[in-house]
Amino acid sequence: MIKEPGLDARPKKIIADNKKREQKFNFCKAVLLDIFLVFYSLIVIQRAIYYKFILDIRDIPFAWSQIWIVLFISIIIGSLWAFTKTSLSCNLFGVAKDCKTTKLTTEIFGWVLFDITFIAGWIVTKISIVDLFSKDGIEGAQRIFGALFQPEMSIFDDVVFATIETIYLALIATLISIPFTLIISFFTARNLMKDNKISFAIYYILRIVLNFVRSIEPVIWAIIFSVWVGIGPYAGMIALLVHSIASNAKLYSEAIEGIEDGPVEAITATGANKIQVVWYGVVPQIILPFLSFTIYRWDINVRMATVIGLVGGGGIGTMLMQYQGLAKWHEVGLIVLVIAFVVWVMDYISAKIREAIY
Amino acid sequence: MTLLRIQNLHKIYKNGTHALKGVSFEVEEGEFLVIIGLSGSGKSTLLRCVNRLIEPTTGTIEFLGKDITHIKGEELRSVKKQIGMVFQQFNLIKRRSVLSNVIVGRLGSMKTLDSIFERFPDSIYDEAKKCLETVGIEEKADVRADSLSGGQQQRVAIARSLMQNPKLLLADEPVASLDPATSNSVMQYFEKINKELGTTVVCNLHFLSLVRRYATRVIALKAGEIVYQGNPLEIDEDWFKTIYGDEAEEVEIR
Ligand SMILES: Nc1ncnc2c1ncn2[C@@H]1O[C@H](COP(=O)(O)OP(=O)(O)OP(=O)(O)O)[C@@H](O)[C@H]1O
Ligand SMILES: [Mg+2]
Repeated sequence: MIKEPGLDARPKKIIADNKKREQKFNFCKAVLLDIFLVFYSLIVIQRAIYYKFILDIRDIPFAWSQIWIVLFISIIIGSLWAFTKTSLSCNLFGVAKDCKTTKLTTEIFGWVLFDITFIAGWIVTKISIVDLFSKDGIEGAQRIFGALFQPEMSIFDDVVFATIETIYLALIATLISIPFTLIISFFTARNLMKDNKISFAIYYILRIVLNFVRSIEPVIWAIIFSVWVGIGPYAGMIALLVHSIASNAKLYSEAIEGIEDGPVEAITATGANKIQVVWYGVVPQIILPFLSFTIYRWDINVRMATVIGLVGGGGIGTMLMQYQGLAKWHEVGLIVLVIAFVVWVMDYISAKIREAIY
Repeated sequence: MTLLRIQNLHKIYKNGTHALKGVSFEVEEGEFLVIIGLSGSGKSTLLRCVNRLIEPTTGTIEFLGKDITHIKGEELRSVKKQIGMVFQQFNLIKRRSVLSNVIVGRLGSMKTLDSIFERFPDSIYDEAKKCLETVGIEEKADVRADSLSGGQQQRVAIARSLMQNPKLLLADEPVASLDPATSNSVMQYFEKINKELGTTVVCNLHFLSLVRRYATRVIALKAGEIVYQGNPLEIDEDWFKTIYGDEAEEVEIR
């Protein structure tokens, strides 16, 4: 076979170019991360450890000019450090020089980061053993616990009714979430969307939106929606719905990403179109995991519905809130017992159903 | 007539692996071409480039005289419809019946909605059954695919690709997960399809005894390059050593 030299040079160049590009990209990431890490350490040391702990100032002075100065210093230190190629981030992204200095700086800086984070955390949460074991504190705890274990049975009917409301609220939120979740999960599964630029953009944007929605707790959604549609079970339901969609879409799409490629590849090879490939290659593999996640979500939603009730989302949580506000601890005791019972039963049932599915 | 013409094909994976380094060859209609080579020599990569499951980096692929290296969408699907493929791991839909697995081979010619709601014409069921007869397991039509043995699953996979009425049948180590006796029986179905239906077969194999028995021509790959091309009966000790390395020794399977 005669080979033309010009044609052979191209693939080699493509390899070399790819490698260079990746190295450059990783180095850029390393520089940014180094700057951030230095900035983080300086800010934590200055504000939490120096101002709050050593100087013990209550109202820590805040000035943007100060932040900018710290940022400026970090940019200089961080980039200088990264450019020596011995920094922690260079090591993380695999572009560091392989020498003793790298190892040493990585180790030392790693420890510094861990230590200052721990110390700052300790200072910020004001951990105090004294409060936990003070005389007043212990007496209060005794009073409440005593009352909790002598529940007031006269409100039992109301409690049961509110509990049923909570369970139904969770159920409706779960059921309504299913169709939305299904559709979204296909668009947020990397293996289905990565082939083409437009679909990848959709995937990326949807992922960001979902992450954002999920990062907001249902309680906060409940507050938002109770302003929007008025306090009560409806606001609680919408809050749960939104959170269920975002959380389950992630689980569903992970299930889709975890499927066997083989059947998908085989069906693609027959000349089937994308929708047919998904319907025949993907769907049969994910039906059971989807069912199981959905039942689990109902279980979670019952617990969450209780918490959401605390901020006016209706059901047993709202009732708990009202009695707690009146300091009627015997009534609160009954409610807590009922909640514990319901959560335990739901947990048991959903585990059993999920076991039966597999 | 030349069915397939590959010229100077290179494949570089995203991670930088240079899996094919300028492969060129032709496949004539009616051939039973076998590709051999060590693990990692690029056999699967080559087959996957041919039906464009993966994108070749440079080079050209001609199928029936038409350049298909860069075609897309509808055009690419119509080429895929004419090329059947059988895999080492069978790749059936496990929870569905054997018959519906075979019908999958015809999806490319169906309307999307019809295929989703399974509104198939009666003739499709008949054809699917005929394909199952060709590979001798028509009696299993209604059982779940994952309840079959490996050899039976592979025959279903062959029936699925027969449903495409393929001009070319690719097989990526179709018998590598089967025992020797079953391997031989599955290979006989490939031979039958090649001889009786006249379908061109390109097949990756590991065992030289199978190669000698079924191949009309052999291509040997080593580290992404063709190191041997010719008659399977002419692979002697020396060629064997160049293909598989000095340490290798031939094992027989019957
Ligand atoms: N998706 C992929 N990404 C990156 N590298 C890959 C990928 N698939 C295969 N390779 C690499 O390409 C080379 C050729 O692989 P290929 O699967 O084509 O070999 P093979 O001859 O089929 O081997 P085997 O007999 O093990 O199936 C190997 O070095 C492999 O690691
Ligand atoms: Mg292979």
